Amino acid sequence: MPNSWSPFSYIVINLARFIRPNEITFSGVNSTMPMLACLLAKRAYDWDYIYINVAGGVDPDPSSIPLSSSDPVLAENTASIFGNEDFYDLCTRGRMDLAFLGAAQIDGDGSANNSVIGDWHNPKVRLPGGGGGAVMLPTARRACTWRTEHSKRTLVEKLDFRTSWGGFHGVVTPIAVFIKREGRLALESWHPEVSLEEVIDRTGFNFDSSLSKPTDYPTVAEIKALQSLDPHGHFERDAAVSIRIAAHAAP
Amino acid sequence: MSSGFNDNNKKIPLNELVARVPNGASLALGGSFLHRGPFAFVRELIRQNKSNLEIIKQSPGYDIDILCRAGVVKKVRAGIVAMEGNFGLAPSYRKAIETKAVILEEHACATLTAGLRAAAFGIPFQPCGGLQGSDIPSINGWKSIDDPYGKGDPVWVIPAISPDIAIIHANEVDRHGNVRVYGTSNWDRIMSRSAKTVLVTAERLVENHVFTNQPEMTLIPYFMVEAYSVVPQGAWPGSCWPEYEIDYPAVEEYMSSLDSSVLDAHLKAAANRLELSDA
Repeated sequence: MPNSWSPFSYIVINLARFIRPNEITFSGVNSTMPMLACLLAKRAYDWDYIYINVAGGVDPDPSSIPLSSSDPVLAENTASIFGNEDFYDLCTRGRMDLAFLGAAQIDGDGSANNSVIGDWHNPKVRLPGGGGGAVMLPTARRACTWRTEHSKRTLVEKLDFRTSWGGFHGVVTPIAVFIKREGRLALESWHPEVSLEEVIDRTGFNFDSSLSKPTDYPTVAEIKALQSLDPHGHFERDAAVSIRIAAHAAP
Repeated sequence: MSSGFNDNNKKIPLNELVARVPNGASLALGGSFLHRGPFAFVRELIRQNKSNLEIIKQSPGYDIDILCRAGVVKKVRAGIVAMEGNFGLAPSYRKAIETKAVILEEHACATLTAGLRAAAFGIPFQPCGGLQGSDIPSINGWKSIDDPYGKGDPVWVIPAISPDIAIIHANEVDRHGNVRVYGTSNWDRIMSRSAKTVLVTAERLVENHVFTNQPEMTLIPYFMVEAYSVVPQGAWPGSCWPEYEIDYPAVEEYMSSLDSSVLDAHLKAAANRLELSDA
């Protein structure tokens, strides 16, 4: 089955499918998969869009694909440097069409916790922190995120801390794609090799699945573009994404 | 006394540059994650046994991690903390916060910028867009105010943040202390404008005409810079575009264990390889 999904390609390509023609689209720090999605969209689709990134690049043509999504390579062959203050200001004045933002926990409203597991003042796990989300999630026209683990500890009924509010437009995991519908995350589609029941079973919040269906397989152009970005599978190995995490797979 | 720095003896060795940092000082560190951070300067802070430092940076990583690991930090004001690359969370930072050895003031990157802007603009606070519905303002006691002109929505206002010293690693300086950065300057510009003084490390010293030929390339004019050191590879093991990329094996080695021998070996490797080669 040449056009089947791997858990890695499922996330990257479904993130790329959120990108729309001509829109200003941003990828940031700690965001290898959105970076790959943005570069993939430039190669896989027959329309163009405006790609800006945290390295200051504006439609860059990097000579190599970096492990770090803030690597200066991502500003190679750019005609301008659109710096950190610039893209935040662009977002708060309402002109960021799509921002990719990270999230440790996501709730059914599409809010995010990037701060802490446990109580903020007595953290069990201190997470990276506020980052872009608290300002960008409520001000970007659309924001999308991804999780490499689909479980009740990542997709939760109640966040330990609400770092960012505003509602993700889209969420991609190794087994599902959610899209915001009437202020709540609704299931758009699921990985054709898992069942709707499994998605429901492994999600901590309730969601509408009435319009959902198995995710369309990747196109040849999408697969080719991803292979051109990761010809030796380094990114895929590094990401180590699986459909089911070890705890689920273990007896 | 002048508000600017116009003496002709700004070029000093790295150890003397770092000796200007008093214990308890607040330091804004330039760069972002593993890119163009003043990392040789940061390691020299550890060698000089500084204490109770406050670190201010939107996206610290290696720098805050090694400073927490060495126990020289008291407080962090940061937006997002991680090693990045493919290294994930910053383990020594994480431990310092979880054990309450270090106090965290959690920001969004843009709120930290707003605080720095307030200081740069010479005003007590700065409105910042976004933040609706976030728990971050309440943990910091930030206030929201109505638009006094009655046109817009209420807006969060962030108190001014004026670092005692901004520490910038640059590509080039000239003998007067003019500063050039290639590629994105991250948040270095607003750091330099909000801090009470600026100390610089640079990959190399170039002739003044390099700056006068293209003045729009200058990030920080000399009169804002108190002193500088020429430190080739000063951002190692991070990158300094376009001079060098991240030294991934060196970062892996640093991350291999929290054992103190690993930190010692890392500091020694850095000294042998870089800092001392310049002395």
